Amino acid sequence: MNTTVVSFLVLYYVVVLGIGFWAMRRGASDDLEGYLLGGRDVGPLVTALTLQSTSMSGYMFLGAGSLAYTTGYWSLWFAAGDIGGGVLNLSIIGRRMRKLSQMTGSLTAIEYLEHRYPSPATRFIAATLSVFLLSFYVLAQFIAGGKGMALVTGLDYEWALLIALTIIIVYTFLGGYLAVAYTDFFQSLIMVVGVVWILGAALAHVGGFTAANVALREIDPTILSIWGRDLGFQGQWGVVAGAILVFSAGYMGWPHVVTRHMAMKRPGTARLAGAYATLWNLLFVPAPYIVGILAILILPQLDDPELAIFELARVLLPAAVTGIVMAAIMAAIMSTADSLLLQTGSIASRDLYERFINPTASERQMVWVSRGLVFVIGAIGYWVALAEPPAVAFIVLFATSVLGSAFAPAFVCAVWWRRANTPGAIASMVVGAVTAIVWEMLALAATTTLAPMSAGIAASTVTIVVVSLATQKLAPVAPHILAAMDETARVGSIPKKMLAMSDFALRPEAEEIEALFDGDEGSR
Amino acid sequence: MFGLPFSTAFLVFGFPALWILYTVGFLLLSRSWENDRDPS
Repeated sequence: MNTTVVSFLVLYYVVVLGIGFWAMRRGASDDLEGYLLGGRDVGPLVTALTLQSTSMSGYMFLGAGSLAYTTGYWSLWFAAGDIGGGVLNLSIIGRRMRKLSQMTGSLTAIEYLEHRYPSPATRFIAATLSVFLLSFYVLAQFIAGGKGMALVTGLDYEWALLIALTIIIVYTFLGGYLAVAYTDFFQSLIMVVGVVWILGAALAHVGGFTAANVALREIDPTILSIWGRDLGFQGQWGVVAGAILVFSAGYMGWPHVVTRHMAMKRPGTARLAGAYATLWNLLFVPAPYIVGILAILILPQLDDPELAIFELARVLLPAAVTGIVMAAIMAAIMSTADSLLLQTGSIASRDLYERFINPTASERQMVWVSRGLVFVIGAIGYWVALAEPPAVAFIVLFATSVLGSAFAPAFVCAVWWRRANTPGAIASMVVGAVTAIVWEMLALAATTTLAPMSAGIAASTVTIVVVSLATQKLAPVAPHILAAMDETARVGSIPKKMLAMSDFALRPEAEEIEALFDGDEGSR
Repeated sequence: MFGLPFSTAFLVFGFPALWILYTVGFLLLSRSWENDRDPS
């Protein structure tokens, strides 16, 4: 165990926990909107960086490095989509979702879906899918955290996992969304510094970018190809499309990411946030892939390619800098894990417990139920991560593909297509999720050259369009929802009247009563 | 370029350039969003 490296890590954890305490003292957890959305008071820079660091999980340091190490430049297809994921998300649904979620009084992304597509089935299906997939996704972060911590500290995997997990749970527990958003902000800065540092060190070690590519060509020219080692993906545009889509358009279907829109200070916050997101992505996203490729030259005999970036840091950097890079790696893991835990806890408590089990729960009770569920999910994740840890890249690509396939069309159509209705959205979520899962389980990508993400999102998009059009007469979109959508499309402040009714579902009845009173006054 | 085939160089440098253009276009087209303020 290197004490300098460990000292940096301890310092990093102290800062992260300090931010959690600060968020708690700021009063963010007094009510449910404060706990789950930071009181909708988050500015553009923090919005951009929490959105990005939440999206960039431990996958970036373990999965991306491993993918690049094993497939070469082909892996950059994932980065090609990923760089624009933030701005795409914020420009397409950011502003409108912020506005519609406030008008509908929605506190979770799933509750928002039910308000836009009214039906208990919308909430139940979306919440169940989310809890399952986000738990699966958070598991990957625990495994990544445990592996990284074990390598840095020399502790046994189970102890390393327990320490990483305890810290994540404690600060998620303390301050809710605000703690998560501000720790994400801090962590995103550490991530950029860490990854740029290791990239610089690796490039210096191999004599520069051009020299590295010349050396790689001598080992195997197909490493430099866009079709992967041994041209294994040659002509497979469906797989390439999946790689681009999963971290770009797919983001729009991730509940823990789109929640960032709902927490923005103003709808227009999305504009500057989009620019900050692209800037950050340009600095951060390609680096882990390039480092993974350079590791082929520097560490040609790695037993576990997932540890390529960890090992490079250990081999190339002085102890103090290794400490910063390790903190960056832990930051990537933890910034995603905390958001996933908070989201899973929120969805399970508000969208399942309150909605279907205890509708009269008070706000204070709900905060504690959410916290309790964060603890329970963490404990289950710890047990599974210990029992049989699967590969991080596999879990992340699987969970994100299914999430994107299930939800992206429903979230996009919610603000852009007036005819998208409840049967269309429900069918789209089910068909998208099932298609992506079946594609993955039956390994259909190999025979069809179509990635699960491509197949899933195509299926869910076609489904929402076809079913919505086919059921327009049977289930038309309610007038109060259409009015809210019109207001969402308009740029400008939300009229107070649109915010007056806290229960969006009761709006039609309230409007009828209001009209009745107006009529009475008119007749007097 | 940088010892890479053209297609790979485009993947590494061309896609980021496209996203920069998209972001600049977005900033220009969304100037009116600054009018989205607190509820009136």
